[in-house]
Amino acid sequence: MSLITFAGRGPLSRGTRRSALPLGTIGRHLRPFALPAALLAAWELAAHAGFVDARFLPPLEAVLARAVAEIGHGDLAANLLASLQRDLIGFAFGGTAGIFLGLVIGFSPLAQRLLGPLLLVHRQIALFAWVPLISMWFGGGETGKIVFIALAAFQPSLINTWQGVAAIPRSYRELAAVLTLGWLDFARLIAIPGALPQIFTGLHSALIYAWTTTVGAELLLNIAPGLGGRMNEGQHLFHMDLLLLCILLLGGVGVAFNIIAGGLERRLLRWRTP
Amino acid sequence: MSTAAAFPDAGSVDARALEIQDVSKRFDVAGRQVQALSRIDLAVGEGEFVSIVGASGCGKSTLLRLILGLDTDYEGRIRVDGKSVERPGLDRSIVFQEHRLLPWLSVEANVAAALRQSRLGAGEKRELVRDHLQLVGLDPFAKAYPAQLSGGMAQRVAIARALVTKPRFLLLDEPLGALDALTRLRLQDELLRIVRQGGTTAVLVTHDVDEAVYLGDRIVVMHPHPGRIATILPVTSAVSRDRSDPNFIRLRDEVLSWLGVSRAGNEAREPSVAEGTRRFA
Amino acid sequence: MGAGRINASRGPADGVDRAIPARRRLAAAWWTLALGLIVPLILLATWLAAALLGQLPEQILPPPWAVFDTLSDIIGDGTLASSIATSLQRVAEGFAAGALAGLVLGTAIGLSKALRETVDPLFLAMSQVPTLGWMPIVILLVGIDEGLKIIVIGWSAFIPVVLNTSQGVRDVPQAYVELGRVLSFSPWSRLTTIILPSAVPSIFTGLREGLANSWQTLVAVELIASFEGLGYLMAYGRQLFQLELVLAAMIAVGLIGLLIHGLLTLAETHLQRWRPEMPR
Repeated sequence: MSLITFAGRGPLSRGTRRSALPLGTIGRHLRPFALPAALLAAWELAAHAGFVDARFLPPLEAVLARAVAEIGHGDLAANLLASLQRDLIGFAFGGTAGIFLGLVIGFSPLAQRLLGPLLLVHRQIALFAWVPLISMWFGGGETGKIVFIALAAFQPSLINTWQGVAAIPRSYRELAAVLTLGWLDFARLIAIPGALPQIFTGLHSALIYAWTTTVGAELLLNIAPGLGGRMNEGQHLFHMDLLLLCILLLGGVGVAFNIIAGGLERRLLRWRTP
Repeated sequence: MSTAAAFPDAGSVDARALEIQDVSKRFDVAGRQVQALSRIDLAVGEGEFVSIVGASGCGKSTLLRLILGLDTDYEGRIRVDGKSVERPGLDRSIVFQEHRLLPWLSVEANVAAALRQSRLGAGEKRELVRDHLQLVGLDPFAKAYPAQLSGGMAQRVAIARALVTKPRFLLLDEPLGALDALTRLRLQDELLRIVRQGGTTAVLVTHDVDEAVYLGDRIVVMHPHPGRIATILPVTSAVSRDRSDPNFIRLRDEVLSWLGVSRAGNEAREPSVAEGTRRFA
Repeated sequence: MGAGRINASRGPADGVDRAIPARRRLAAAWWTLALGLIVPLILLATWLAAALLGQLPEQILPPPWAVFDTLSDIIGDGTLASSIATSLQRVAEGFAAGALAGLVLGTAIGLSKALRETVDPLFLAMSQVPTLGWMPIVILLVGIDEGLKIIVIGWSAFIPVVLNTSQGVRDVPQAYVELGRVLSFSPWSRLTTIILPSAVPSIFTGLREGLANSWQTLVAVELIASFEGLGYLMAYGRQLFQLELVLAAMIAVGLIGLLIHGLLTLAETHLQRWRPEMPR
């Protein structure tokens, strides 16, 4: 190979130069914290110095105090759990339905021809457009929300499963034919393990998507305990500290989901070359 | 003893076009130091065609990158016309082993890309591009995209691109290595013709000994670990450009034996002063 | 082997597989179309039959003709047109703002390791929060007027554009970057001739996702906090228990979504016509 590569140096790399200053190393380790730290400092300054109306930007301590209060006497935790509960139920239903249908369509060209266009159109209808319809059919209660969340999880799960099956190399199908494997054996030994990575990607997406939808749905259909309901309350009562706290919780759940899903993916797919 | 003293054929001091003096280069590979080049001395005269041949790991590609200016972290001096090489410049062009044509530009746009930094007018640039495409015989494909070309054609475009700036030096890093054997033979003739026509000074790096003998005026044999010049052999006029010529075969076999491959399966030879140069009658 | 490969003895390829005769290809296309329409038609027929037979309660689905009537009503009196116009304008503005900002930041992050290390952690953390989750706070800060929509819609487009653009810029093959240095390209030339064209596929993925997000967010925002537009139309219909209105608006939403999808595919195909194989 006539090429010596400097992988990962990025498009502006200038090749090798004579050694640079060692000062860079310390700076580099601090960099990820620089921006958040600066913003937090600015926040505290603005809040305390009165640059900004305290209602718009309560100082950090106020948010923390609110958190403590909620844990002690409030029901924020209960709200969070209620949200998570309907989120996970909806995700379970929608995700499984998506996998099932995705497998069917992936394996059967006929099913693909029959259902493909319909699903394409369905994909184009913005998810939240279903809310009025669903709320009219199921009412704005638990069932309605869960159906909606399931719908949200259904989409990415279906698409990814379908693509995962479709991407199984032709050579594997030919191998199955040569080994005279039955339909079921082919699915069990070759197709499903082959499509599994993509299926997991789909479930990961579905998880994130379901959570996003849960929050949105709760903001819209403001019944029963839930994080969205508290956020609406915070907005109406101008309780910025509550809102900021909820944002932290939202982000925290998102991060947690990503870590869990990513970790599971890595564990279960260890046979793949890294 | 430096190469210059050991090998009178390393080039006379008066041929100042390209001077490589006492060049050494170290790499850090996974914590270990690898000596890629060790005390390389070479002078290339104007209009010469120098072939550098050697097994993988002998540093020949690294040497080209240093000449090109892609890498300035080395010991020693590399000078063009007496001036140190600091960065890439339009006076030194390179043809890589992969054609590296930009896939989203047409053939003529790819060649024209080399002229981007030049101060010529648009009309002049167009003419230059067309002339060089004609030179490599690809004028009809000016508007085609690289994906539509075969390997040999793409490499010819790369050659056109390298020459369109009328560089003083044409560096070639195993340019024909990715091509099939037949295309390779055909392109070797083309390359020779093109380089001769332009009077360009060429430095070719290859692992194909036949190619090195066929194309070069001098053959620099390199050994690896650390990368160093084993010997420099002139291709005298007695060696005609005929792969079946006995003198050609003899020179080729000699190069091969320097590289550790001989007809009787002997060991590789190490350089010594007495064997510094060999001349053919 | 691909249809595009040629050697010196033939001319440039035209990329079309001439092996299957044109008539057969057309027949296959019609057949695919027919199969695709079977299930929708069956559903439509069932809907019609149930309504005709009086088996369909109003709360589940109004009869097809009622929906059709409502649809022609709102087309006739211009409500649909103005709603669509409002919604499209919001999407356009929000997406344009978010995508432009995303392209700039994404390119900058992709080019500069230092910037990436500084901005990434915060950006990634913020993108974990669902876009709609920001709404209550943004409402408190800017109220419920157009600014809210632009910000929220823009943000939903911003995130995927930044992520995909920066990835595309980072993934430029080192071989091409070196080529730029060898040809003594100026930084601007390197950016426009090498880096950005190479990153186009990724950039487009980001734009696609951003536009899809924008559209989704638009509908949600209009449902929650608006007095005009398609989303509002649906919310209004729901409040008045006029399912026909909701359905009519949904149809419009679906069609526009289809249109956007088609346009983006066209643009992407055009920009990548130098490829031997077209993406999907």
